[in-house]
Amino acid sequence: MLFSSVGFLFRFLPIFMIVYLMIPAKYRNIMLLAGSLIFYGVGEPYFVLLLVFSVVVNFALSRYMFWEPKSPQNNRKKKAKRRRKRALILSMVFDFGILFVFKYWDFVAENVNGLAGKRLVPFLALALPLGISFYTFQMVSYQMDCYSGKVSERTGFVAYATYICMFPQLIVGPIVRYGEVSERLAERRIRVRDLENGLKMFAAGLALKVLLANQIGTLWNTIMTAGPGNLHVSVAWLGAIAYSFQIYFDFWGYSVMAMGLGKMLGFRMPRNFDDPYMSRSLAEFWRRWHITLGSWFRDYIYIPLGGNRKGSARTICNLFAVWALTGLWHGADWNFLLWGLGFFLMISLEKKTYGKWMERSRVLGHIYTLLLIPATWVIFAIADIRQLAAYLGNMVGIHADRVLVGTEQLARYLKQYGILLIACVFFITSFPRKWYHKWKDRWFMIIFLLVMFWWSVYEIVVGSNNPFLYFRF
Amino acid sequence: MSERKIKKWLENMYNCPYLILVMASSLIAMLCFDEIGIRVFDNNLSAERTVSVVGDIVRAEENQTPGEPPVTLEEMPSTGETVAQIQNEISETMQDVQENAGERREENNTIEENNNLHVDTETEEMQEKQEEMVKGVTRFLPYEPLETDSRYYSDAGKIALTTEYPYTLANDSYFNDAAFLGDSRTLGIYDYVGLDGADFFCDNGMTIFKLLKDEGVTEQGTGQKVDLKRVLQERQYGKIYIMLGMNELGYGNTSMYMQEYLSVVQQIRAWQPEALIFIMANLHVSREKNNMETEFNNINVNDKNVASARLANGTDIFYLDSNPLFTDSEGFLQSEMTFDGVHLYAQHYDKWRQFLLEHGVERPDSKTAPAMGGEDQGNMLNTTGSAEDSGTGVTAITNEGAE
Repeated sequence: MLFSSVGFLFRFLPIFMIVYLMIPAKYRNIMLLAGSLIFYGVGEPYFVLLLVFSVVVNFALSRYMFWEPKSPQNNRKKKAKRRRKRALILSMVFDFGILFVFKYWDFVAENVNGLAGKRLVPFLALALPLGISFYTFQMVSYQMDCYSGKVSERTGFVAYATYICMFPQLIVGPIVRYGEVSERLAERRIRVRDLENGLKMFAAGLALKVLLANQIGTLWNTIMTAGPGNLHVSVAWLGAIAYSFQIYFDFWGYSVMAMGLGKMLGFRMPRNFDDPYMSRSLAEFWRRWHITLGSWFRDYIYIPLGGNRKGSARTICNLFAVWALTGLWHGADWNFLLWGLGFFLMISLEKKTYGKWMERSRVLGHIYTLLLIPATWVIFAIADIRQLAAYLGNMVGIHADRVLVGTEQLARYLKQYGILLIACVFFITSFPRKWYHKWKDRWFMIIFLLVMFWWSVYEIVVGSNNPFLYFRF
Repeated sequence: MSERKIKKWLENMYNCPYLILVMASSLIAMLCFDEIGIRVFDNNLSAERTVSVVGDIVRAEENQTPGEPPVTLEEMPSTGETVAQIQNEISETMQDVQENAGERREENNTIEENNNLHVDTETEEMQEKQEEMVKGVTRFLPYEPLETDSRYYSDAGKIALTTEYPYTLANDSYFNDAAFLGDSRTLGIYDYVGLDGADFFCDNGMTIFKLLKDEGVTEQGTGQKVDLKRVLQERQYGKIYIMLGMNELGYGNTSMYMQEYLSVVQQIRAWQPEALIFIMANLHVSREKNNMETEFNNINVNDKNVASARLANGTDIFYLDSNPLFTDSEGFLQSEMTFDGVHLYAQHYDKWRQFLLEHGVERPDSKTAPAMGGEDQGNMLNTTGSAEDSGTGVTAITNEGAE
């Protein structure tokens, strides 16, 4: 189930919230767990079993970490340490193993077979379970926190399963750390104000997703439909910008919806975006874009590998590992690896060479970031390497084919999407967020959010009745 | 919950106007609108009812008796038997159920070739009989239809082929008196085929139902919304190309589509008595896009194509199927030609240009389109009286050869 669907908005959410608020507080975790499994199971009736299985295995292994045999021994500490390590390794092998089989097997098989020139590895052609990348990372973070001692007390099964499965963050994150919600898992009070504010936030996120991301996405589609190799420079850039808007508002919208829902359930979800397009370098961009993923890689990959404390050669190696994995986390294809390594290259260069110099000028930093980001998203968006090369070529004026989509089409696109593009530009700044927090209790903001909510619902309903209205190109 | 607690809650609620507004408006909306409403089960039932009604309409159409209003389409009963015989013969070679309606298998080619030969001889015969009159034939290639349970379409069980006609090779100036009406794919023709002389009236998401409505269509080139009704009454065109049907895949059903197409064509014919009308096939979708779970698949596209092809009469209405240029052996749009599985990349419109040029129709000087002699009734239009009187000549169709 998606947040932006009629089934969620008008069936699941109201029924769930009514039951959730009516029952005594001590049953809320189990209610949330059950609701989340229903939420997941509606869309993934089989993979919900995989989710439950993963939760059970991880929970057992985390318990094994804390398990202390009764008989006193001399080398008890040493044994306990070894046991924790064993449990950690087992859980990582299990979690990443499942992720690998479902997400990366066919990609590896394809390339191994391609290299060998014959069919060495069979293809599995498995569907990707919804949200597996997110919940796997969350499970791993819990095990790592148990190992390092950040999580010291034993968690009950229901609390643990609720932490992994709770529906606001199950499918598209944010990747929540156990420490961020542990207090609320144990005890939470839900005030009516939380419902009010959570709903407002949800409406804002829904509008970002449905009214901005979905709409501007058709511009990118239109341009890609014409062909990635026949674009005038201006059209190629317009497409890249449109896609940058689409992916940002899509993801940000989901995150805001998750925060709103979390609030309604009595939790505080971590912030995932901090006006990333307003950054002044790519390194800063990644501190402000998908914050929970960036910090996951920092805390569980980069720092355990030694971070930047083991000499500059080692730092570069660590950065390389982090960015290659970040790329692959987003998808099993070469363009994602390329995308990650692009960030590796640029961020290393920033660190080592021009970063200091660039800090002197705010404007320069903004221009630099705003020029590079659309290009990185193009790499992210186009999986076919030849098409990708053609598109990037078009962006710098290199054309292998004739230019078929030129200024005439550009004028039409701008006429059609002009207002939407202006709205998008406005929403990547920090003003909307500041104004929202400043005025969210004022009447005009309440009316505005209400209108946005129903406008979004209208778009969703029209789209679901006639999916081909999405193809307005 | 205790009474005090509830009281406190209610007090708090008073301070939460947004919550109250959302809840109140949701409640009202859910009561009023079936799309999100609590009456959704009712909604499902009515959807099922529609299906059965549609089924009845379709069946009624198939067994239609003469004397029905001229708007309806029918297949000539007299050809029915012979058609059935031919179909049986062919279906023996095509026993296996096909996943994809647009499929053109190797075996079909021979049949197609036979048909071609057939037409040649036929047209020759006709030419002997009626020297100045050349008449195209639109053939349908039958196959074993699939069971479908969609409210939007059913499996037509046949593929419509380009109207067979001695087309001439046109040049660019041929299109100077042409108008193209269509959706985003026609916009693609405007953008990338480069027929500068023609007028294009097309919009993304255009449908046959919206084409002649007051909201109007964008005239490409000027970028202005124009009322197509007025334009078609004011300007006279020699050729009118129509390609619509993709945005209708999930709207209404095929028989509604066909009715609407027919009335649009009749309307255009009334305004443009001299124009040749070309009904262009909708492009098949790619394998990735083809989804039997939804209404977005080639069976549905083909259903729409067959419905529109039935309007072709071979004299002044032609059906042009450009799909073979772009589809693979199974009838799917080739993946490397498309980004979204629905639209061609700009560079592939060249083929389409060639196709359009190759399918020029030279009009005889005088517009004489009398009904064929009695002995040829089998392969002719069933032009009912009233339609002939009004000079539309669009009425009805059957196109299988009568041997």
